[in-house]
Amino acid sequence: MADTVSLLAVFPDLEPAANAIDKLRSLGLSDGQMNVISGIPITEAMLGRPRQWTNVPRLALGGAAGGFLVGLFLIFTPILYFVPVGGQPQIPGPPSVVVLFELTMLGLLISTFLGVFLDSTFPSYRPMEYVPEISDGKIAVLFHCPQGKQEKFTKAMHALGAEKVEVAEAQQL
Amino acid sequence: MELIDLNEVGAKGAIVEEADGKWGMVIDQDLCTGCQACVAACAMENNIAFVDEEDAGYGRSMQWMRIERFWEGEYPEVKMTSFQPTLCQQCGHAPCEPVCPVFAAVHSPSEELNLQVYNRCVGTRYCANNCPYQARVFNWRDYERPEPLNNQFNPDVTVRRRGVMEKCTFCIQRIHRAEDQAKSEGREIADGEFAPACAQACPADAIVFGRLDDPESQVSQLARQKRGVQLLEELGALPRVTYLKEG
Amino acid sequence: MAEMTANLERSHEEHLREQHLMLDPKPRGEMNAMVMEAMHTTSWKFWVVAVILGAIVLVGLFGSWGYMIAEGLGVAGVNRPSYWGIFLVNTVFWIGISHAGTFISAILRVFKAEFRRPFTRAAELMTTFGLVQAGFSIFMHMGRVWLAYWLFPYPNQRQLWPNFHSPLSWDLLAITTYLLASTMYLFLPLIPDLAMARDRSEGWRKNIYKVLALGFRGTEGEWTHLRNAMNIFAFAIIPVMFSVHTIVSWDFAAATRPGWNSTIFGPYFVVGALHSGMGAVIMVLAVVRGTMKNMKYFIRPEHFDAIGKLMLIISMTWAYFFFNDYIVQWYGGDKWTKTLLHWHEAGPLGWMWFLMLIVNVAIPWLVLWNKKWRSTPWIVFVVGLLINVGMYIERYIIVPISLTINRQPFTWRLYQPGIEIPLSIGTLAFFILLYMLASKFVPLVPVWEVEEGQMAHSVKKFGRETVVTVSELE
Repeated sequence: MADTVSLLAVFPDLEPAANAIDKLRSLGLSDGQMNVISGIPITEAMLGRPRQWTNVPRLALGGAAGGFLVGLFLIFTPILYFVPVGGQPQIPGPPSVVVLFELTMLGLLISTFLGVFLDSTFPSYRPMEYVPEISDGKIAVLFHCPQGKQEKFTKAMHALGAEKVEVAEAQQL
Repeated sequence: MELIDLNEVGAKGAIVEEADGKWGMVIDQDLCTGCQACVAACAMENNIAFVDEEDAGYGRSMQWMRIERFWEGEYPEVKMTSFQPTLCQQCGHAPCEPVCPVFAAVHSPSEELNLQVYNRCVGTRYCANNCPYQARVFNWRDYERPEPLNNQFNPDVTVRRRGVMEKCTFCIQRIHRAEDQAKSEGREIADGEFAPACAQACPADAIVFGRLDDPESQVSQLARQKRGVQLLEELGALPRVTYLKEG
Repeated sequence: MAEMTANLERSHEEHLREQHLMLDPKPRGEMNAMVMEAMHTTSWKFWVVAVILGAIVLVGLFGSWGYMIAEGLGVAGVNRPSYWGIFLVNTVFWIGISHAGTFISAILRVFKAEFRRPFTRAAELMTTFGLVQAGFSIFMHMGRVWLAYWLFPYPNQRQLWPNFHSPLSWDLLAITTYLLASTMYLFLPLIPDLAMARDRSEGWRKNIYKVLALGFRGTEGEWTHLRNAMNIFAFAIIPVMFSVHTIVSWDFAAATRPGWNSTIFGPYFVVGALHSGMGAVIMVLAVVRGTMKNMKYFIRPEHFDAIGKLMLIISMTWAYFFFNDYIVQWYGGDKWTKTLLHWHEAGPLGWMWFLMLIVNVAIPWLVLWNKKWRSTPWIVFVVGLLINVGMYIERYIIVPISLTINRQPFTWRLYQPGIEIPLSIGTLAFFILLYMLASKFVPLVPVWEVEEGQMAHSVKKFGRETVVTVSELE
């Protein structure tokens, strides 16, 4: 990584940003060396980028299974500590369904939520490459270009309409 | 012809208890004079708090056994009906038990009674709502017991504080005392050896208590009489109290 | 001629732009500034109201509750046979209000109803704060609330477990699930707006936003995970929402009481919750639009119109379920049920029953069919307020009034509220206070969602007609 420099190009709109991605690809960068930071979610397809992986659905299913197991535990514990009530069986059918449902959903939702944290490595308060204009709706393309070619890339980005191109400094957000 | 077995009817897979039960009571409404001696005796036996006039008028009287009286017609052509002493029926399939979230209202498999565990009750009052006989009473406040009434406490029974539900226990402390006595003497409890406070106090002998599973006991014989009815029998709660009326 | 047509078209377009937020895009930076300004601009009137509400909360809620804990439930109005009174009415009422937030942010999102975009967060805040009040109300009604932790399954030396046969235990699980789920669902779409607030704040505010924004930047990965999670939440929280109020209804329906043991209580309560909830949402939106700066840009008559239509449909659905419940009890109910029905209409509180039907059914059906009236904020505010009054009465009828009639006539006695009144006012004041304080701290409009929607909307000519089109951007 010592021979690359990180540049951040800020674009006002979707079309110039998509052109910029194509241009960077034509200049020899791979998709892995680029990242797009934006103020609204832009699907990768709009920019011609490969789809992002995400573990959140799998974590969600795992959490649902975990919730289900906790529900089973709560329902079957009376086998160990049985207290008879009102002519109902030791393990009642319909109440068990209710308990299982609620705890499965709780497990699903908590693990989805925590999955976002895990996948995005939230919270992270280290200094990161960012400019505040992004939350004002600009689309920033963060890319790592070879050391010597900085001028060339900067000019290419400006030609395609970048509002500013600067060396991406990791700053406290 | 298939007869419906009352022991089987109920929630699918329900714990089945004999429809008759173990300890039971017969109340003869044709003998009851409405004197409320049973109410007073019960209050003394079980350390029931004295509720002040205002609260009692608002439906908060804490009578484990209450005498209900009804009449027909308008004054002056009023016709009295029998007095109805209403108490906890110690149901076999008690509706008050499954609804308590903390297991304070549970069923005792050995005595086949409905137990109220005072120190477990957190006061959600669902059990009281669900009792079809409205037999449960709640401690709405900490009621004072001015001197020297505190000397009257029964040491066999705890006192309850505010926020706790209570109800008739068929004088379980007397049941236990009799059982302990009989066990230490190596015999069974004789029929009529002890009685709960209400049965003991009734001057008309309208309340009879004993073992329903013993067909020879007095209470079983009385319960089998043609005059016998059970309150709200159609609800299927399997009450253990039989009322004799209109003989 | 061509000029006139062009002018007409332009003014039609302008008309559309004025009506529809989605067709009236502003630069993101400007919208951000508007939302931040709405948060920071506080008039002295706000503080006066906040202080008054704070006083009501201290005395009416916490003070009265402390007194009740010390004295016992005798200071309330509950008795035999109405063992449950206004506390349960409040609980059901507040859970009902909280369903509106989920309806708007989940169901409308799933159905891609674009008009939801500016007010999903305002509605979700209602959910969280409504559930807080419901939690207070349910703890208030317990006789020994200091032992409430016994309802939770935790290992203990006495080897005791909560009773999962009991609908109250299901309540505990359901409400906990719903509270956690809706708070998480409130927080997820809030993260990008917290990042925006972080970028535009100074000093102590910036520090708080910085911590809460978790270091969000808006990278592809972060958006993917976030949107994936929001999708899962939107779909999954809908069955949770339905189950919560159904389980609350089973507190009543699973009991043996006449009038309570009705199989239709599940869906009846869910629809009732939506009914009062939508009324509350409209009230909140009318107040927010009227009192907060720049909100007139985000919340427009079109939104009141759309919610008004939903209110009308929900009112019809509520009437359907109510009548369903009523006719089967009236026709084939046992003598106790029929006595209860008669008591509802002809008893001393019969006026409440009639009032409920008027404000829940008659007024919405008379007012909300008219588009112009639906689009007028103060009119739908009044309708929403009346609906909430009606739904409160409905729960009052279901709990204390229905409990009066049971199978033991000797015990019948009318319920008279005692300390429940200041406690109820206290919870209402606390709800409003929490909401007001949140509006000063939480960006009330999800600007990124609004911009996303504006990106997808455009105006197109179909033949001679200019229409609104929405592109599917996902």
